[in-house]
Amino acid sequence: MSLLSVRNLRVTFDTEAGLVEAVRGVSFDLGRERLGIVGESGSGKTMTGRAVLRLIRPPGKITADSMVFDGQDLMAASERDMRALRGPRIAMVMQDPKYSLNPVMKVGAQLMEGLRQRDKVSAQIAYDKAIEALEAVQIRDPERVMDAYPHELSGGMGQRVMIAMMLIPNPDLLIADEPTSALDVTVQAEVLAILDGLVRNRGMGLIFISHDLRLVARFCDRVLVMYKGKVVEELAAKDLLAAKHPYTQGLLNCLPRIGGPRQPLPGLDRNADWAV
Amino acid sequence: MALIEIDNLSVTFLSKGHKVHAVKGVSLAVEARESFGLVGESGSGKSTILRAICGLAPVSGGSIRIGGQVLNSKAGKSFAARVQMVFQDPYASLHPRHTIDRTLSEPLAIHGLGDTDARVMKALDDVGLPRSFRFRFPHQLSGGQRQRVAIARALMLEPEILLLDEPTSALDASVQAETLNLLNRLRAERGLTFLMVSHDLAVIDHMCDRILVMQHGQAVEELTRDALATAQMKTDYARSLFAASADRMLAG
Amino acid sequence: MSTLTAWLRDPNPQSRRQARLGQAWMAWLRLRRNPLAVAGLAIVLVLFVMAAFAPWLAPHDPITQNLGNRLLPPLTSGHLLGTDDFGRDILSRILYGSRITLFIIGLVALTAPVFGLLVGTVAGYFGGWTDEILMRITDIFLAFPKLILALALVAVLGPGMENAILAIALTSWPPYARVARAETLTVRGSDYIAAVRLQGASSVRIILGHVMPMCLPSVVIRVTLDMAGVILIAAGLGFLGLGVQPPMPEWGSMISAGRKYLFEQWWVATMPGLAIFIVSLGFNLLGDGLRDVLDPRSAGR
Repeated sequence: MSLLSVRNLRVTFDTEAGLVEAVRGVSFDLGRERLGIVGESGSGKTMTGRAVLRLIRPPGKITADSMVFDGQDLMAASERDMRALRGPRIAMVMQDPKYSLNPVMKVGAQLMEGLRQRDKVSAQIAYDKAIEALEAVQIRDPERVMDAYPHELSGGMGQRVMIAMMLIPNPDLLIADEPTSALDVTVQAEVLAILDGLVRNRGMGLIFISHDLRLVARFCDRVLVMYKGKVVEELAAKDLLAAKHPYTQGLLNCLPRIGGPRQPLPGLDRNADWAV
Repeated sequence: MALIEIDNLSVTFLSKGHKVHAVKGVSLAVEARESFGLVGESGSGKSTILRAICGLAPVSGGSIRIGGQVLNSKAGKSFAARVQMVFQDPYASLHPRHTIDRTLSEPLAIHGLGDTDARVMKALDDVGLPRSFRFRFPHQLSGGQRQRVAIARALMLEPEILLLDEPTSALDASVQAETLNLLNRLRAERGLTFLMVSHDLAVIDHMCDRILVMQHGQAVEELTRDALATAQMKTDYARSLFAASADRMLAG
Repeated sequence: MSTLTAWLRDPNPQSRRQARLGQAWMAWLRLRRNPLAVAGLAIVLVLFVMAAFAPWLAPHDPITQNLGNRLLPPLTSGHLLGTDDFGRDILSRILYGSRITLFIIGLVALTAPVFGLLVGTVAGYFGGWTDEILMRITDIFLAFPKLILALALVAVLGPGMENAILAIALTSWPPYARVARAETLTVRGSDYIAAVRLQGASSVRIILGHVMPMCLPSVVIRVTLDMAGVILIAAGLGFLGLGVQPPMPEWGSMISAGRKYLFEQWWVATMPGLAIFIVSLGFNLLGDGLRDVLDPRSAGR
């Protein structure tokens, strides 16, 4: 049975300039696998991820024919039910750890907060679990990190802490929105490897949102390619090089390559019929 | 004589009572009409070198010469007419309350150049923006379009040197391709000299003839484009950077 | 009408003016979503209409005394809001008084924020010693309660409307300097300022053309929120007999005159008090609404 099933998801914003449809009828199913959502900025990929958690602020509106997570109808769930889902069942990692960690609270306190409040465990157990979580994301000196403020950590460290925090309640689904875009290339590889290992070992579902098609292809089982709020192509990651849709091909070919030819990089034809 | 000569440059900030050595004794020389790349991870001091050239970062040692002339601390109008910069984030580098027209005509007004209308129109044409965008505000443009405006602004004074600070890292892959193509075309047409900073080895490789790899404020290794393509680096750091970048490339 | 809105909404304006008007139209649409702000705007507009058409709107002369009609209660025929102790129609006096109120507000709003903006942006942009000196002067002015300082100034300069305006303006610029400086500090290090500096722009050009437009929204919001305070200080000075001199119909001095009859003829002091209350409320609501519309952070992208 699929973990998450989304049918005809739409996100609309009622702005001064009229109705803006950020997501226009997206459908997908997710098992305990790694699904990549790829697209350029404005393609609606982030909004899709947030809509699953119903984290769209007004004037944004979410509509869908159905959105079911593990047998529970997310469209009909109350705000209270959603709060119970967010975190323990569905977790989210954002792009920049600088903005998602509380700057005036020590990392340890933030890690233990959920455990203490939600699971009502003792301080000692919470501390041990937090250390364990930091070790799981391969932080070598977890005691020092527990006692640090977020600004004392590097970007890669911060993102690891975020991942650790999200994984403490052992969620069934992790939504990662550009989790490595703010990081250096060498750090990116490390963080991805950690994320990969955790998802595999725990049998979680993962929605990996990124603008980097190659990265997603290396890391996911299946890829949804989005353009202007619609899914233009869905394919297995291993078949990516055989992508048929011109948009997918364009995304693949537009990146420069080390040692590649010096001729102009191929661009995207945004005036083709599919782009409407 | 090289157009840009940086000799043993050091930049030291004072941050919360600590001295931060952002750049430690870096030397490089860029010939006229050459495209030179600085590559490294965040905190390697690569952007600081560009800012030091513009007088936006305090030089604590060494010297910077443009066309043989030592830079004095005050960046004047004559300097502005020779050297311009394109910033990393197109969302932060355009004045949010100025129209594109105002942004592009400002350098003309500062330097007392006339014929504003024609020059602004030509600048829009040159960077491939429709003329109807002239009176739009930055928030009515996409990231790629904003970066085109920023490039047009940098070229208004017809400088010979363009400093590029991660000009595409905030853009989508396909928009990055268009922007890089634009920069290459403009360089060929106008005979510009590029000094480009990026964390993306593939971008630097596509754009530059020579590359300086930096780490922790120090120069690690200088590479030619051929040496990079054939992975002939001598230092471990340059090799690990290469490996991490090449790793992201799919075969095919 | 529809062609006009289409022209305003045109994503590709043909001229600077059209671009500006289009932005203003968008701001108005955003303001219109907030009913309280619209109410505030309506009150302020009514004040303008009252001031502009006072001679036509007022049923009686505001100054001519008629001792036979003194202290008539509200709703008496011909005197909707009653008369005061000299038999003058209160409605007419309030209508004419709106001119004085608007004159004071207008002059203060033109002088104090401009001066504050200048001090704040210069201090913030240059930093260092300039900042220290300018901001310590600002601190000295801020250290005194506004009304006390205004009182002291009027006492030195002598009573009268011009001196009252001068005193109010001199006491109300420091907060604007503070706001402008804070805003300047966040703008100073931005890439677009670095870019224009790289083009060889002078400090004067950068401050006037690039820094000030970014500080303007917060200052405008602050001004509308402060207008209520300005009206109250002007009324306070009038109440104490240090502002506008009788027989000019100033709202504050009208309350002062009605104080003697507060218990028996309540309307004499209450009606101008209500006028002050409503206008202050109007400016406050408008300022709150403008905060949402003009905030540079919300108009960022």
